[in-house]
Amino acid sequence: MEEDIVDYALEYAKGKEVEYAEVRAQRQVQERLMLRSGILEAYVSAVDSGFCVRIIADGGIGFTSTNKWTREEAKEIVNLAFRYAKLANRKEKIVFAKERGVETKWTVDQKEKMEDVSPEEKISEFVDIDKSLSSCGVNVVATMSSCTIDLISKYYVNSEGSRISSFIPKIGAYVFITVAENGKTEQASEQFGYSGGWEAFHKWKITEKMIHDAKVLKDVITKGKAIKPGIMDLICGPEVTGIASHESCGHPMEADRITGREMSQAGRSFIFKGGPYWIGTRIGSDIVTIVDDPTIEHSYGYYAYDDEGVKARRRYLYKKGIINEFLHNRETAAKLGTTSNASSRSVNYDREAIVRMANTFVLPGDATEEELIEDVRYGVYMKSFTEWNIDDKRFNQRYVGREAYLIENGALKHPVARPVIETTTPKFWTAVDAVSKNVEFDAATCGKGDPAQGIPVYTGGPCIRLREVYIK
Amino acid sequence: MNDILSKTDEIVKKAKALGVDEVIAKTTFGRYRQVRFSDNQVDITVAWNDYVTDVALAWKKRVVATQIWNFKDVDANLKKLLDLAKVSKENPMFGGFAKGNFRYAKSKADKKLRDLENLTDYAVEAINAAEKEAGSKTESGGILFTKFEDVYLVSSEGPVVVDSRSAIELSIRAFSQREASGHGVECSSTLKDFGPARAGKKAGEIARLAKNPRAGDEGVYDVVFDPLIFGSLLAVWASMASAFRVMVQLSVFVDRLGKEVAPEIVTLKDNPSAYSLANRVFDDEGVPARENVIIDHGVLKTYLHNTSTAKIFKTETTGNAGLVVPTPWNVEMNPGDMTKDELLKEVKQGLYLTNTWYTRFQNYAKGDFSTIPRDGIFLVENGEIKQSLKDIRISDNALSLLINIAGVSKERQHVHWWGEAEPPSLSPYVLIRNVHITKSR
Repeated sequence: MEEDIVDYALEYAKGKEVEYAEVRAQRQVQERLMLRSGILEAYVSAVDSGFCVRIIADGGIGFTSTNKWTREEAKEIVNLAFRYAKLANRKEKIVFAKERGVETKWTVDQKEKMEDVSPEEKISEFVDIDKSLSSCGVNVVATMSSCTIDLISKYYVNSEGSRISSFIPKIGAYVFITVAENGKTEQASEQFGYSGGWEAFHKWKITEKMIHDAKVLKDVITKGKAIKPGIMDLICGPEVTGIASHESCGHPMEADRITGREMSQAGRSFIFKGGPYWIGTRIGSDIVTIVDDPTIEHSYGYYAYDDEGVKARRRYLYKKGIINEFLHNRETAAKLGTTSNASSRSVNYDREAIVRMANTFVLPGDATEEELIEDVRYGVYMKSFTEWNIDDKRFNQRYVGREAYLIENGALKHPVARPVIETTTPKFWTAVDAVSKNVEFDAATCGKGDPAQGIPVYTGGPCIRLREVYIK
Repeated sequence: MNDILSKTDEIVKKAKALGVDEVIAKTTFGRYRQVRFSDNQVDITVAWNDYVTDVALAWKKRVVATQIWNFKDVDANLKKLLDLAKVSKENPMFGGFAKGNFRYAKSKADKKLRDLENLTDYAVEAINAAEKEAGSKTESGGILFTKFEDVYLVSSEGPVVVDSRSAIELSIRAFSQREASGHGVECSSTLKDFGPARAGKKAGEIARLAKNPRAGDEGVYDVVFDPLIFGSLLAVWASMASAFRVMVQLSVFVDRLGKEVAPEIVTLKDNPSAYSLANRVFDDEGVPARENVIIDHGVLKTYLHNTSTAKIFKTETTGNAGLVVPTPWNVEMNPGDMTKDELLKEVKQGLYLTNTWYTRFQNYAKGDFSTIPRDGIFLVENGEIKQSLKDIRISDNALSLLINIAGVSKERQHVHWWGEAEPPSLSPYVLIRNVHITKSR
């Protein structure tokens, strides 16, 4: 990464009649492994590097990027970004919420450096997962797995004096399995993610987790019974709590949806000015507090400063059941008369930074998981999910259980085959009457942006108990 | 041989000199432009200038790949890549890269799209068309995107070929009320065939009809699918035809080759021909891209292959090699003999759906999934649109929907939208019987 070219581009941009200019460079050392049924299909190793310019001029924004590292190219993309900003010809001029310039460096450590682990070892760890699955006593008929490693260096400068260098290593893995028994199939996938080094691989215990999933799928096929549809209690395991937090709290609280900038693709939000839901409105029971927190060390969604140079902090989205604080970048913050809370993220130098979640989860309560179950006369414990989705205003959602059990008189009984909760956001969060002590996280890749920007996040939380919801 | 092709060829020669068995280098010079707009105003205008050479090589059936961004880095990159291959693991199923000297169709890329700089006027044209249909309070958002790529491919196994690929697409969503919206798209490989107002008009028309929606009801309905939402289903089925997806059970088409998977009126193809956003004359192994009939009058005829998957399935490549796995390029459904209105008239009590998003599966092999219709959702009674609806979900099965196709329109539209209707398709209006609809409780 040639920082002098980045600095040059900024100085050149500042020489024009701009209200704001920034240059963001990114270099990613990438490794990708892809395996099918234990066979390595391909090993990709590459280094991607480039920079972008974002300019506000006459209240419009121009954004240009290149992977050609020359001063001539820098000049050209600044000129183009400036021209594009002017062409916008907006009635409502775009401004950014005020921030002070920051000069800093931040890094994330690797206990076991990715570059110190040989490709052979990386391959063999994934091949071994498949070997273990094939001898676990379950008929696993197909597997697909992948590993992504990115060593990301960034250099960010803006016209307000910010100059931030960072280094963050990210590692991710994905495993998908199909189990066949009695002529029927069931499928499961797991995603893993971490900011740090190869030590992540050992923490994840992928083999253990996938063998557990394989056995669960076998049980669902051989012992699972459908639930008789009706009103009952539901306990959500951390994975289900996490996806619900992400989908029906994190996303609707993104201010670019609320202000309409995402109206065409990701959609709007059920929260909007003049509507029934706004800051201060109740959305859940008073034991529901959902936060989004980029500062959790080594989390998949970790960052110290966002991609607009704003210092990261925990955001209380739903606080004690009340809509509390939206996720903002500097553009949405200015529109709604507040300041950014460092939610601006970009996946690479060729994508604009937009409002994103980091690690979204329900804060823990004081009950144990056992206490939650003991107090259920009839219901379902949904530990994990398979199919899920939510509408684009983030109101109507559906989660289908993968590992789920019937609860009768406070005790877990047989597996339930694919129980479904299909409900609205306020009904879901208002039905919560108990929250357990232990928080667990799952890695996910959150989709948003056009062109798409799949961004690393954690979803998570404790077990939560919902009273009297409709399960089918 | 032009300069870039020479440099690409040099990469292949250098790799061979280092001792690799097979190598492909593909250099892409991409020029991409985008305007994003919301609330009838431009939010951001974007330009990407990208250059990359994708290199895939095989050494003793070990397949490795890299991307090179600077021709100066070639020697070091190739050496590193071969070193990686030497410590990598053999893929016994690797069938080699495509061999031979092929004849290719002539590229028909539109050079006007290479030079187009001001996209704002096209976006404004679409916004105005939507407003004309849905009223002065209409709020529209969307994107206008252009692509011009020069692609140079050299393979040690024979292919040496150059292509230019152009595309322009507009996606517009118009809101006539907070919960009343319509979505229109306009997709073309040439500027002369591109009419942004068409997309705006369609989005506006649907948004106008969608006013004052009430919550829909659960049940089993006959449904007329608009080309845009049907394009999402076409994308699901075509992706499931990839031989790789079949091998990993991410497909309802496992073990169904030669079997009836749809009624006779259904013929589904993959065809990246000149009109398509995904136009190309060769795949990533340098094999000529071509029309492949996936489902012929209801019968599953082929999976989509690269050279390796074709060998596993004891057949020939279909020209669908992506970087690692075979992929569909552009899905086409053969037209039927009915009009959109005739399809609607077939519906006594049913729905007309215009768009969807968030399609997710419980089990790809079985096909159980749900997806959430958005934008115009309409109750149809005795062939007439009676009421705008909201808050419903299709909760059904990918194979059942295919089997229950009961009518296909003559009219077709080239559609593509974000990740939801990807890859692009040439999609008709389609009537599907007995579609299961659920809702929140």
